Amino acid sequence: MMIALNAVSFRYPRGNWILKDINLHIESKKCTFMVGPNGGGKTTLGKLMTGILKPTLGDVFVDKLNTKQAKLYQVGTKVGYLFQEPERQIFAATVRDELAFVMELKGIEKEVIEQRVEVALVRFQLQEVADSFPFQLSRGEKQRLALATVLMNNPSFLILDEPTTGLDVERKERLSEIIRELKKRGTGMVIISHDERFVEKHADRIIIVAGGGARDGG
Amino acid sequence: MAGKVSLDPRTKLFMVLAISSLAVFLTNIYLLLLVLLLAVAALAFAGGSIVDLLGKLKRLIAIFIAIVFVQSIFTKGGQPLLQAGELVILSDIGLTRGIQTMLRFFIILSSAAIMTTSNPREIIQGLIQCKVPYEIAFMVTVAIRFFPILRDEVNDIMTAIQLRGINLKQVPFLKRLKTYSYLLSPMLFSVFMKSQDLSVAMEMRAFRAYPRRTSLRVLHFRTQDYQVMALCTIIFLAIVFTALKAG
Ligand SMILES: Nc1ncnc2c1ncn2[C@@H]1O[C@H](COP(=O)(O)OP(=O)(O)OP(=O)(O)O)[C@@H](O)[C@H]1O
Ligand SMILES: [Mg+2]
Repeated sequence: MMIALNAVSFRYPRGNWILKDINLHIESKKCTFMVGPNGGGKTTLGKLMTGILKPTLGDVFVDKLNTKQAKLYQVGTKVGYLFQEPERQIFAATVRDELAFVMELKGIEKEVIEQRVEVALVRFQLQEVADSFPFQLSRGEKQRLALATVLMNNPSFLILDEPTTGLDVERKERLSEIIRELKKRGTGMVIISHDERFVEKHADRIIIVAGGGARDGG
Repeated sequence: MAGKVSLDPRTKLFMVLAISSLAVFLTNIYLLLLVLLLAVAALAFAGGSIVDLLGKLKRLIAIFIAIVFVQSIFTKGGQPLLQAGELVILSDIGLTRGIQTMLRFFIILSSAAIMTTSNPREIIQGLIQCKVPYEIAFMVTVAIRFFPILRDEVNDIMTAIQLRGINLKQVPFLKRLKTYSYLLSPMLFSVFMKSQDLSVAMEMRAFRAYPRRTSLRVLHFRTQDYQVMALCTIIFLAIVFTALKAG
Protein backbone atom coordinates (compact mmCIF):
# COMPACT_ATOMS: atom_id res chain seq x y z
CA MET A 1 0.00 0.00 0.00
CA MET A 2 1.35 3.33 -1.03
CA ILE A 3 0.11 6.77 -1.95
CA ALA A 4 2.04 8.69 -4.57
CA LEU A 5 1.60 12.29 -5.71
CA ASN A 6 3.34 13.13 -8.98
CA ALA A 7 3.74 16.82 -9.83
CA VAL A 8 0.39 17.65 -8.24
CA SER A 9 -0.97 21.19 -8.32
CA PHE A 10 -4.41 22.12 -7.08
CA ARG A 11 -6.79 25.02 -6.99
CA TYR A 12 -10.50 25.21 -6.22
CA PRO A 13 -12.70 26.41 -9.10
CA ARG A 14 -12.22 30.16 -9.52
CA GLY A 15 -9.66 30.16 -6.68
CA ASN A 16 -5.90 30.67 -6.32
CA TRP A 17 -3.36 27.86 -6.47
CA ILE A 18 -3.33 26.21 -3.06
CA LEU A 19 -0.79 23.47 -3.75
CA LYS A 20 1.98 23.80 -6.32
CA ASP A 21 3.97 20.99 -7.95
CA ILE A 22 3.95 18.53 -5.08
CA ASN A 23 5.84 15.23 -5.25
CA LEU A 24 5.30 12.88 -2.35
CA HIS A 25 5.53 9.18 -1.65
CA ILE A 26 3.76 7.93 1.42
CA GLU A 27 4.98 4.51 2.51
CA SER A 28 2.62 1.95 3.89
CA LYS A 29 2.96 0.71 7.47
CA LYS A 30 4.31 4.05 8.61
CA CYS A 31 2.79 6.86 10.56
CA THR A 32 3.20 10.08 8.59
CA PHE A 33 2.11 13.38 10.09
CA MET A 34 1.16 16.50 8.16
CA VAL A 35 1.57 19.75 10.07
CA GLY A 36 1.45 23.42 9.13
CA PRO A 37 -0.43 26.68 9.59
CA ASN A 38 -4.23 27.09 9.25
CA GLY A 39 -5.19 27.34 5.62
CA GLY A 40 -1.89 25.83 4.52
CA GLY A 41 -3.66 23.14 2.52
CA LYS A 42 -3.41 20.06 4.77
CA THR A 43 -7.08 19.13 4.48
CA THR A 44 -6.95 19.76 0.74
CA LEU A 45 -3.91 17.47 0.43
CA GLY A 46 -5.65 14.76 2.46
CA LYS A 47 -8.73 14.96 0.23
CA LEU A 48 -6.52 14.66 -2.85
CA MET A 49 -5.04 11.47 -1.40
CA THR A 50 -8.48 9.83 -1.25
CA GLY A 51 -9.84 11.10 -4.55
CA ILE A 52 -12.49 13.31 -2.91
CA LEU A 53 -10.73 16.09 -4.79
CA LYS A 54 -8.98 15.48 -8.11
CA PRO A 55 -5.68 17.23 -8.88
CA THR A 56 -5.89 20.19 -11.26
CA LEU A 57 -2.50 19.16 -12.66
CA GLY A 58 -0.51 15.96 -12.12
CA ASP A 59 -1.63 12.55 -10.82
CA VAL A 60 -2.39 10.92 -7.52
CA PHE A 61 -2.00 7.16 -7.19
CA VAL A 62 -3.48 5.09 -4.41
CA ASP A 63 -1.93 1.64 -4.66
CA LYS A 64 -1.60 1.92 -8.48
CA LEU A 65 -5.14 3.30 -8.76
CA ASN A 66 -5.15 6.73 -10.43
CA THR A 67 -7.71 8.81 -8.52
CA LYS A 68 -8.66 10.62 -11.72
CA GLN A 69 -10.20 7.44 -13.11
CA ALA A 70 -10.95 5.48 -9.93
CA LYS A 71 -14.41 5.57 -8.35
CA LEU A 72 -14.65 6.77 -4.77
CA TYR A 73 -15.80 3.39 -3.47
CA GLN A 74 -12.74 1.72 -4.99
CA VAL A 75 -10.43 4.01 -3.03
CA GLY A 76 -12.77 3.69 -0.04
CA THR A 77 -12.22 -0.06 0.24
CA LYS A 78 -8.47 0.55 0.70
CA VAL A 79 -8.34 3.87 2.53
CA GLY A 80 -10.35 5.03 5.53
CA TYR A 81 -10.82 8.80 5.78
CA LEU A 82 -11.79 10.80 8.84
CA PHE A 83 -13.23 14.22 7.97
CA GLN A 84 -12.06 17.28 9.88
CA GLU A 85 -15.73 17.94 10.71
CA PRO A 86 -17.21 14.68 12.05
CA GLU A 87 -20.79 15.78 11.17
CA ARG A 88 -19.88 15.25 7.53
CA GLN A 89 -19.72 11.50 7.91
CA ILE A 90 -22.47 10.76 10.40
CA PHE A 91 -25.94 9.97 9.10
CA ALA A 92 -27.77 7.15 10.84
CA ALA A 93 -30.53 7.42 13.44
CA THR A 94 -28.61 5.86 16.35
CA VAL A 95 -24.96 5.32 17.21
CA ARG A 96 -25.42 1.55 16.90
CA ASP A 97 -27.00 1.95 13.46
CA GLU A 98 -24.17 4.17 12.35
CA LEU A 99 -21.64 1.46 13.18
CA ALA A 100 -23.66 -1.35 11.60
CA PHE A 101 -24.72 0.49 8.45
CA VAL A 102 -21.89 -0.45 6.07
CA MET A 103 -21.83 -4.10 7.14
CA GLU A 104 -25.59 -4.33 6.59
CA LEU A 105 -25.25 -3.00 3.06
CA LYS A 106 -22.55 -5.54 2.41
CA GLY A 107 -24.89 -8.33 3.52
CA ILE A 108 -22.89 -9.58 6.50
CA GLU A 109 -24.75 -11.88 8.92
CA LYS A 110 -26.70 -10.23 11.71
CA GLU A 111 -24.94 -11.92 14.63
CA VAL A 112 -21.52 -11.06 13.28
CA ILE A 113 -22.56 -7.44 12.88
CA GLU A 114 -23.96 -7.20 16.41
CA GLN A 115 -20.82 -8.69 17.86
CA ARG A 116 -18.52 -6.34 15.98
CA VAL A 117 -20.65 -3.32 16.91
CA GLU A 118 -20.45 -4.30 20.57
CA VAL A 119 -16.65 -4.53 20.37
CA ALA A 120 -16.44 -1.12 18.74
CA LEU A 121 -18.74 0.47 21.36
CA VAL A 122 -16.45 -0.75 24.16
CA ARG A 123 -13.25 0.13 22.35
CA PHE A 124 -14.35 3.72 21.81
CA GLN A 125 -16.21 4.07 25.13
CA LEU A 126 -19.53 4.69 23.42
CA GLN A 127 -21.67 2.15 25.34
CA GLU A 128 -23.45 4.91 27.28
CA VAL A 129 -24.67 6.63 24.13
CA ALA A 130 -25.21 3.51 22.00
CA ASP A 131 -28.87 4.32 21.36
CA SER A 132 -28.64 8.12 21.18
CA PHE A 133 -29.15 10.29 18.13
CA PRO A 134 -25.62 10.79 16.76
CA PHE A 135 -26.08 14.49 15.97
CA GLN A 136 -26.71 15.35 19.59
CA LEU A 137 -23.49 13.80 20.85
CA SER A 138 -20.78 16.09 22.16
CA ARG A 139 -17.99 17.08 19.82
CA GLY A 140 -15.57 14.53 21.33
CA GLU A 141 -18.15 11.75 21.18
CA LYS A 142 -18.89 12.50 17.54
CA GLN A 143 -15.16 12.40 16.83
CA ARG A 144 -14.86 8.96 18.44
CA LEU A 145 -17.97 7.65 16.66
CA ALA A 146 -16.68 8.83 13.30
CA LEU A 147 -13.31 7.13 13.86
CA ALA A 148 -15.00 3.95 15.09
CA THR A 149 -17.14 3.86 11.94
CA VAL A 150 -14.14 4.32 9.68
CA LEU A 151 -12.35 1.45 11.41
CA MET A 152 -15.36 -0.91 10.99
CA ASN A 153 -14.20 -1.29 7.38
CA ASN A 154 -10.75 -2.60 8.39
CA PRO A 155 -8.97 -0.30 5.96
CA SER A 156 -5.31 -1.03 5.30
CA PHE A 157 -4.54 2.68 5.24
CA LEU A 158 -5.97 5.58 7.21
CA ILE A 159 -6.10 9.32 6.68
CA LEU A 160 -7.16 11.18 9.81
CA ASP A 161 -7.82 14.93 9.67
CA GLU A 162 -7.20 16.33 13.17
CA PRO A 163 -8.41 13.29 15.14
CA THR A 164 -7.59 14.84 18.53
CA THR A 165 -9.86 17.90 18.22
CA GLY A 166 -12.41 17.93 21.00
CA LEU A 167 -10.88 15.04 22.95
CA ASP A 168 -10.11 15.37 26.67
CA VAL A 169 -6.79 14.21 28.12
CA GLU A 170 -8.04 10.71 28.93
CA ARG A 171 -9.70 10.21 25.53
CA LYS A 172 -6.57 11.44 23.79
CA GLU A 173 -4.59 8.80 25.66
CA ARG A 174 -7.10 6.14 24.50
CA LEU A 175 -6.68 7.36 20.92
CA SER A 176 -2.91 7.04 21.31
CA GLU A 177 -3.37 3.44 22.38
CA ILE A 178 -5.56 2.74 19.38
CA ILE A 179 -2.98 4.26 17.05
CA ARG A 180 -0.26 2.12 18.59
CA GLU A 181 -2.44 -0.99 18.10
CA LEU A 182 -3.08 -0.09 14.47
CA LYS A 183 0.63 0.49 13.88
CA LYS A 184 1.41 -2.91 15.33
CA ARG A 185 -1.11 -4.47 12.94
CA GLY A 186 0.63 -2.78 10.03
CA THR A 187 -1.99 -0.17 9.16
CA GLY A 188 -0.39 2.81 7.43
CA MET A 189 -1.53 6.28 8.46
CA VAL A 190 -1.44 9.90 7.45
CA ILE A 191 -2.47 12.08 10.38
CA ILE A 192 -3.07 15.81 10.21
CA SER A 193 -2.57 17.47 13.58
CA HIS A 194 -1.73 20.70 15.38
CA ASP A 195 -1.03 18.83 18.63
CA GLU A 196 2.77 18.87 19.03
CA ARG A 197 2.97 16.28 21.81
CA PHE A 198 0.70 13.94 19.88
CA VAL A 199 2.89 14.33 16.80
CA GLU A 200 6.10 13.68 18.73
CA LYS A 201 4.63 10.57 20.28
CA HIS A 202 3.66 8.78 17.06
CA ALA A 203 5.43 10.26 14.07
CA ASP A 204 7.69 8.17 11.87
CA ARG A 205 7.84 11.03 9.43
CA ILE A 206 6.69 14.66 9.50
CA ILE A 207 5.68 16.64 6.44
CA ILE A 208 5.28 20.40 6.70
CA VAL A 209 2.56 21.81 4.43
CA ALA A 210 2.84 25.57 3.94
CA GLY A 211 3.03 28.18 1.21
CA GLY A 212 1.76 25.82 -1.47
CA GLY A 213 4.54 23.29 -0.87
CA ALA A 214 5.12 20.14 1.19
CA ARG A 215 8.58 19.35 2.58
CA ASP A 216 10.04 16.89 5.05
CA GLY A 217 10.87 18.35 8.41
CA GLY A 218 11.25 17.56 12.09
CA MET B 1 -29.95 41.47 -25.74
CA ALA B 2 -28.90 45.11 -25.81
CA GLY B 3 -26.23 45.52 -23.15
CA LYS B 4 -26.97 45.51 -19.45
CA VAL B 5 -30.49 46.47 -18.43
CA SER B 6 -31.03 46.57 -14.69
CA LEU B 7 -34.74 46.38 -14.10
CA ASP B 8 -36.40 47.03 -10.77
CA PRO B 9 -37.10 43.71 -8.98
CA ARG B 10 -40.78 44.68 -8.80
CA THR B 11 -40.89 44.95 -12.58
CA LYS B 12 -39.38 41.48 -12.80
CA LEU B 13 -41.91 40.17 -10.30
CA PHE B 14 -44.69 41.68 -12.42
CA MET B 15 -43.37 39.93 -15.53
CA VAL B 16 -43.03 36.62 -13.72
CA LEU B 17 -46.60 36.81 -12.40
CA ALA B 18 -48.01 37.72 -15.83
CA ILE B 19 -46.08 34.98 -17.62
CA SER B 20 -46.78 32.21 -15.13
CA SER B 21 -50.49 32.98 -14.86
CA LEU B 22 -50.69 32.69 -18.65
CA ALA B 23 -48.92 29.34 -18.41
CA VAL B 24 -51.55 28.09 -15.98
CA PHE B 25 -54.66 29.29 -17.85
CA LEU B 26 -53.77 28.78 -21.51
CA THR B 27 -54.49 25.45 -23.18
CA ASN B 28 -53.75 26.25 -26.81
CA ILE B 29 -50.37 24.82 -27.73
CA TYR B 30 -49.46 27.60 -30.18
CA LEU B 31 -50.20 30.28 -27.63
CA LEU B 32 -48.22 28.38 -24.98
CA LEU B 33 -45.31 28.18 -27.40
CA LEU B 34 -45.56 31.92 -27.98
CA VAL B 35 -45.53 32.59 -24.24
CA LEU B 36 -42.49 30.35 -23.84
CA LEU B 37 -40.64 32.36 -26.48
CA LEU B 38 -41.65 35.59 -24.74
CA ALA B 39 -40.49 34.22 -21.36
CA VAL B 40 -37.10 33.30 -22.79
CA ALA B 41 -36.81 36.72 -24.43
CA ALA B 42 -37.72 38.40 -21.13
CA LEU B 43 -35.05 36.34 -19.36
CA ALA B 44 -32.42 37.41 -21.89
CA PHE B 45 -33.60 41.03 -21.55
CA ALA B 46 -33.26 40.88 -17.75
CA GLY B 47 -29.69 39.67 -18.15
CA GLY B 48 -30.18 35.96 -17.39
CA SER B 49 -28.23 33.13 -18.97
CA ILE B 50 -30.11 31.14 -21.60
CA VAL B 51 -27.38 28.49 -21.71
CA ASP B 52 -27.96 27.69 -18.01
CA LEU B 53 -31.71 27.53 -18.61
CA LEU B 54 -31.36 25.12 -21.53
CA GLY B 55 -29.19 22.89 -19.34
CA LYS B 56 -31.98 22.71 -16.76
CA LEU B 57 -34.72 22.07 -19.34
CA LYS B 58 -32.72 19.30 -21.03
CA ARG B 59 -32.76 17.23 -17.87
CA LEU B 60 -36.59 17.28 -17.82
CA ILE B 61 -37.16 15.99 -21.35
CA ALA B 62 -37.19 12.29 -20.38
CA ILE B 63 -39.93 12.91 -17.81
CA PHE B 64 -42.13 14.56 -20.41
CA ILE B 65 -41.74 11.76 -22.91
CA ALA B 66 -42.97 9.47 -20.13
CA ILE B 67 -45.95 11.78 -19.49
CA VAL B 68 -46.97 11.62 -23.17
CA PHE B 69 -47.18 7.81 -23.04
CA VAL B 70 -48.92 7.66 -19.67
CA GLN B 71 -51.54 10.17 -20.84
CA SER B 72 -52.07 8.15 -24.03
CA ILE B 73 -52.55 4.85 -22.25
CA PHE B 74 -54.90 6.10 -19.54
CA THR B 75 -56.96 8.70 -21.41
CA LYS B 76 -59.92 7.26 -23.31
CA GLY B 77 -60.81 8.59 -26.78
CA GLY B 78 -58.79 10.42 -29.37
CA GLN B 79 -57.16 9.07 -32.49
CA PRO B 80 -54.62 6.30 -31.86
CA LEU B 81 -51.26 7.07 -33.45
CA LEU B 82 -49.49 3.92 -32.26
CA GLN B 83 -51.11 0.68 -31.15
CA ALA B 84 -50.04 -2.69 -29.75
CA GLY B 85 -53.06 -4.96 -30.21
CA GLU B 86 -55.95 -3.37 -28.29
CA LEU B 87 -53.70 -1.14 -26.24
CA VAL B 88 -53.28 2.43 -27.46
CA ILE B 89 -49.71 3.41 -26.74
CA LEU B 90 -49.73 6.84 -28.32
CA SER B 91 -52.86 8.89 -29.04
CA ASP B 92 -53.33 12.44 -30.29
CA ILE B 93 -54.92 13.50 -26.98
CA GLY B 94 -52.01 12.04 -25.01
CA LEU B 95 -49.55 13.79 -27.26
CA THR B 96 -51.35 17.12 -26.92
CA ARG B 97 -51.60 16.92 -23.16
CA GLY B 98 -47.98 15.86 -22.79
CA ILE B 99 -46.83 18.79 -24.89
CA GLN B 100 -49.07 21.17 -22.93
CA THR B 101 -47.59 20.03 -19.61
CA MET B 102 -44.09 20.29 -20.98
CA LEU B 103 -44.62 23.81 -22.29
CA ARG B 104 -46.16 24.92 -18.99
CA PHE B 105 -43.21 23.64 -17.00
CA PHE B 106 -40.73 25.24 -19.38
CA ILE B 107 -42.53 28.59 -19.16
CA ILE B 108 -42.65 28.55 -15.37
CA LEU B 109 -38.98 27.59 -15.08
CA SER B 110 -37.94 30.27 -17.57
CA SER B 111 -39.93 32.97 -15.82
CA ALA B 112 -38.67 31.91 -12.38
CA ALA B 113 -35.14 32.28 -13.73
CA ILE B 114 -35.91 35.96 -14.31
CA MET B 115 -36.04 36.53 -10.53
CA THR B 116 -32.58 35.03 -10.00
CA THR B 117 -31.07 37.91 -11.98
CA SER B 118 -31.71 40.25 -9.04
CA ASN B 119 -29.58 40.08 -5.92
CA PRO B 120 -31.34 39.00 -2.68
CA ARG B 121 -31.09 42.45 -1.04
CA GLU B 122 -32.96 44.00 -3.95
CA ILE B 123 -35.64 41.31 -3.86
CA ILE B 124 -36.27 41.90 -0.14
CA GLN B 125 -36.47 45.64 -0.72
CA GLY B 126 -38.82 45.08 -3.68
CA LEU B 127 -41.14 42.86 -1.63
CA ILE B 128 -41.20 45.33 1.25
CA GLN B 129 -42.10 48.20 -1.02
CA CYS B 130 -44.96 46.05 -2.33
CA LYS B 131 -46.17 46.06 1.31
CA VAL B 132 -45.07 42.50 2.03
CA PRO B 133 -44.06 42.33 5.76
CA TYR B 134 -40.29 42.42 6.26
CA GLU B 135 -40.26 39.09 8.11
CA ILE B 136 -41.78 37.25 5.18
CA ALA B 137 -39.56 38.98 2.65
CA PHE B 138 -36.57 38.07 4.79
CA MET B 139 -37.62 34.42 4.99
CA VAL B 140 -37.97 34.18 1.24
CA THR B 141 -34.44 35.40 0.67
CA VAL B 142 -32.97 33.19 3.39
CA ALA B 143 -34.53 30.21 1.65
CA ILE B 144 -33.01 31.24 -1.66
CA ARG B 145 -29.61 31.75 -0.07
CA PHE B 146 -29.50 28.42 1.80
CA PHE B 147 -30.34 26.24 -1.15
CA PRO B 148 -26.77 25.95 -2.54
CA ILE B 149 -25.42 25.18 0.95
CA LEU B 150 -27.86 22.28 1.29
CA ARG B 151 -26.83 20.98 -2.10
CA ASP B 152 -23.17 20.95 -1.01
CA GLU B 153 -24.12 19.08 2.12
CA VAL B 154 -25.90 16.35 0.17
CA ASN B 155 -22.78 15.99 -1.97
CA ASP B 156 -20.61 15.61 1.13
CA ILE B 157 -22.82 12.89 2.56
CA MET B 158 -22.83 10.99 -0.73
CA THR B 159 -19.03 11.22 -0.74
CA ALA B 160 -18.81 9.93 2.82
CA ILE B 161 -21.07 6.96 2.02
CA GLN B 162 -19.06 5.97 -1.04
CA LEU B 163 -15.79 6.40 0.83
CA ARG B 164 -16.87 3.60 3.10
CA GLY B 165 -16.39 1.32 0.13
CA ILE B 166 -20.00 1.24 -0.99
CA ASN B 167 -20.87 1.21 -4.68
CA LEU B 168 -24.38 2.65 -4.64
CA LYS B 169 -25.09 1.25 -8.10
CA GLN B 170 -24.66 -2.29 -6.83
CA VAL B 171 -26.71 -1.95 -3.67
CA PRO B 172 -30.09 -3.73 -4.03
CA PHE B 173 -33.07 -1.41 -4.55
CA LEU B 174 -34.67 -1.65 -1.09
CA LYS B 175 -31.42 -1.16 0.74
CA ARG B 176 -30.64 1.75 -1.53
CA LEU B 177 -33.90 3.41 -0.50
CA LYS B 178 -32.79 3.08 3.10
CA THR B 179 -29.49 4.69 2.18
CA TYR B 180 -31.30 7.64 0.67
CA SER B 181 -33.28 8.00 3.87
CA TYR B 182 -29.92 8.45 5.55
CA LEU B 183 -29.47 11.57 3.47
CA LEU B 184 -32.57 13.09 4.95
CA SER B 185 -31.82 13.07 8.66
CA PRO B 186 -28.50 14.93 8.58
CA MET B 187 -30.01 17.41 6.16
CA LEU B 188 -33.09 18.14 8.25
CA PHE B 189 -30.92 18.33 11.33
CA SER B 190 -28.51 20.79 9.82
CA VAL B 191 -31.40 22.91 8.58
CA PHE B 192 -32.78 23.10 12.14
CA MET B 193 -29.38 23.89 13.59
CA LYS B 194 -28.71 26.57 11.01
CA SER B 195 -32.07 28.22 11.53
CA GLN B 196 -31.59 28.18 15.31
CA ASP B 197 -28.14 29.70 15.02
CA LEU B 198 -29.43 32.24 12.56
CA SER B 199 -32.28 33.31 14.81
CA VAL B 200 -29.98 33.71 17.82
CA ALA B 201 -27.54 35.71 15.73
CA MET B 202 -30.38 37.88 14.47
CA GLU B 203 -31.73 38.61 17.91
CA MET B 204 -28.28 39.51 19.13
CA ARG B 205 -28.16 42.07 16.36
CA ALA B 206 -31.53 43.34 17.57
CA PHE B 207 -33.66 42.15 14.66
CA ARG B 208 -37.24 43.39 15.21
CA ALA B 209 -36.28 45.34 18.34
CA TYR B 210 -37.73 48.47 16.77
CA PRO B 211 -41.15 48.23 15.19
CA ARG B 212 -40.29 50.30 12.13
CA ARG B 213 -37.39 49.50 9.85
CA THR B 214 -35.82 52.17 7.77
CA SER B 215 -34.07 51.17 4.59
CA LEU B 216 -30.77 52.54 3.41
CA ARG B 217 -31.58 51.73 -0.18
CA VAL B 218 -34.93 52.68 -1.57
CA LEU B 219 -35.90 51.38 -4.98
CA HIS B 220 -37.25 53.78 -7.55
CA PHE B 221 -39.04 52.89 -10.74
CA ARG B 222 -37.29 54.27 -13.79
CA THR B 223 -38.72 55.04 -17.21
CA GLN B 224 -37.67 51.65 -18.54
CA ASP B 225 -39.58 49.93 -15.74
CA TYR B 226 -42.79 51.70 -16.73
CA GLN B 227 -42.15 50.89 -20.38
CA VAL B 228 -41.52 47.21 -19.68
CA MET B 229 -44.61 46.91 -17.48
CA ALA B 230 -46.81 48.64 -20.02
CA LEU B 231 -45.52 46.41 -22.81
CA CYS B 232 -45.99 43.37 -20.59
CA THR B 233 -49.61 44.34 -19.84
CA ILE B 234 -50.42 44.91 -23.51
CA ILE B 235 -48.98 41.54 -24.55
CA PHE B 236 -50.73 39.84 -21.63
CA LEU B 237 -54.13 41.29 -22.62
CA ALA B 238 -53.57 40.51 -26.30
CA ILE B 239 -52.83 36.88 -25.53
CA VAL B 240 -55.81 36.55 -23.17
CA PHE B 241 -58.06 38.12 -25.82
CA THR B 242 -56.79 35.76 -28.54
CA ALA B 243 -57.26 32.77 -26.27
CA LEU B 244 -60.87 33.77 -25.49
CA LYS B 245 -61.71 34.30 -29.14
CA ALA B 246 -60.12 31.03 -30.21
CA GLY B 247 -62.23 29.35 -27.53
N1 LIG C 1 -14.28 24.39 -0.92
C1 LIG C 1 -13.37 25.36 -1.04
N2 LIG C 1 -13.48 26.31 -2.01
C2 LIG C 1 -12.57 27.28 -2.13
N3 LIG C 1 -11.50 27.42 -1.35
C3 LIG C 1 -11.32 26.51 -0.36
C4 LIG C 1 -12.24 25.45 -0.16
N4 LIG C 1 -11.82 24.71 0.90
C5 LIG C 1 -10.68 25.29 1.32
N5 LIG C 1 -10.37 26.37 0.57
C6 LIG C 1 -9.17 27.23 0.74
O1 LIG C 1 -8.02 26.44 0.58
C7 LIG C 1 -7.00 26.83 1.49
C8 LIG C 1 -6.47 25.60 2.22
O2 LIG C 1 -7.50 25.06 3.03
P1 LIG C 1 -7.34 23.73 3.88
O3 LIG C 1 -8.66 23.43 4.49
O4 LIG C 1 -6.73 22.68 3.04
O5 LIG C 1 -6.30 24.20 5.00
P2 LIG C 1 -5.81 23.41 6.29
O6 LIG C 1 -4.31 23.36 6.21
O7 LIG C 1 -6.51 22.12 6.45
O8 LIG C 1 -6.23 24.40 7.47
P3 LIG C 1 -6.69 24.08 9.00
O9 LIG C 1 -5.45 23.90 9.79
O10 LIG C 1 -7.42 25.32 9.40
O11 LIG C 1 -7.58 22.88 8.97
C9 LIG C 1 -7.60 27.88 2.39
O12 LIG C 1 -7.11 29.13 1.98
C10 LIG C 1 -9.09 27.80 2.14
O13 LIG C 1 -9.66 29.07 2.19
MG1 LIG D 1 -7.84 21.34 7.76
